[in-house]
Amino acid sequence: MKKLSRNPDLVWRDEPAEREGIVKALEGGDESAAERGWVIIIDKGSMHQLNLLAGEIWLLLDGTLDEYEVAKNLASRYDAPIEEIIEDVREFIADCEKKGWLA
Amino acid sequence: MKLSAPLTVNWTLSYACNFSCRHCYSREIEKSELSLEENFAVVDALAGARVAFVNFGGGEPLLYPHLYAVTKHASESGLKVTMNSNGWLIDEEAAAKCAEAGFRSVGISIDGAEAATHDGFRDRPGSYARAHRALKNLCGAGVPTTVSAVIFKRNVKSYREIVSQAADSGAGTVYLHNFKCSGRGMENREELDLSPQEWRDFYEDALAWRDEAPCALAFDDPVIALLGEESSAAVKGSTCGKLSLHLEPDGDATPCGFIPLTLGNILTDGLEKIWNDSEVLHQMRNKEATGKCVGCSVYGECLGGCTARALATTGSFNAPDPHCWKE
Repeated sequence: MKKLSRNPDLVWRDEPAEREGIVKALEGGDESAAERGWVIIIDKGSMHQLNLLAGEIWLLLDGTLDEYEVAKNLASRYDAPIEEIIEDVREFIADCEKKGWLA
Repeated sequence: MKLSAPLTVNWTLSYACNFSCRHCYSREIEKSELSLEENFAVVDALAGARVAFVNFGGGEPLLYPHLYAVTKHASESGLKVTMNSNGWLIDEEAAAKCAEAGFRSVGISIDGAEAATHDGFRDRPGSYARAHRALKNLCGAGVPTTVSAVIFKRNVKSYREIVSQAADSGAGTVYLHNFKCSGRGMENREELDLSPQEWRDFYEDALAWRDEAPCALAFDDPVIALLGEESSAAVKGSTCGKLSLHLEPDGDATPCGFIPLTLGNILTDGLEKIWNDSEVLHQMRNKEATGKCVGCSVYGECLGGCTARALATTGSFNAPDPHCWKE
């Protein structure tokens, strides 16, 4: 399987304090917090925000993991079945490819 | 989302300028300049805070003697560096130095479709020709270019020609800037600024033409939200103090170049303290509707429009933008 890397020309930044706030809100029962952004990507003059899961996937795209390994990493960290996570990973990766966000 | 640091810092290295423009916000400002070593420390602070973009403005950045050294240090530190220049000094040699220093793109100011309009506005005969020459020199050196055009009474009818000419000279994007009421822009406002209805007509026309324009068009006016235009910045209203910050030549920070309120000094106070603790930025990020904005159906989209313009004309951050055409 192909190891996945972010497009090095893309400008992006994660906001760890925002992520912490999202996790805290989720722990407090606010499920809508999962949709809040904590990673910003600037592409062709527009800003995009990635939600909790998309941001987690994005940070793992450093060229060392393939699609399955990304899902496995997240499944282990979130104590969730990989079958549930792999679909979200595939969907996000496909979207990234479409937008030219991967190397 | 609250950012841990600005994404963009608009940095005036020097207020020195070889032009004397009719709308200039900074012509009368005098500030001491930091040494090269101090500016390197500023770069390190910006890179450390993971600021993404630095845009040099001014003043004319090319009059700052260490421009290329600061740019090189910034680009090598991972910052994406751009500059806005009047283009007068960008001959082939300067264009090559821009490429070597690592400029991601260079913006040239062009405010007229013919020399008389541009040169008159900029009070510098020959500047129109040299601005287009600068674009071509930069293209020749492999530096991507943009054009900044401030829309005012004498060029609003010919903005499409400005865009077409810019594209012919190699510009990839033309920024059609709204008129700011700061400095000389305030002094000459009656003569230069459009009425709210004229702004509406201009934006409607430009948005309708955008897809056919010979290069990309960009707008930076929160008032445009009144036409249903979605912000590309992911924040509503002015981006100043939410996504960006302005640095003066002595390291003082202001919300933007058009708001002359000092928030602190980046070298003595630190970026984090300025960004997180400033009462001025807090107010700008939490504006409250006043006047005709109260109950307006689009306030949630424009947040009162340009905060700098509201402040300059009324003394209040929360006042409605004087360019707003809503009754």
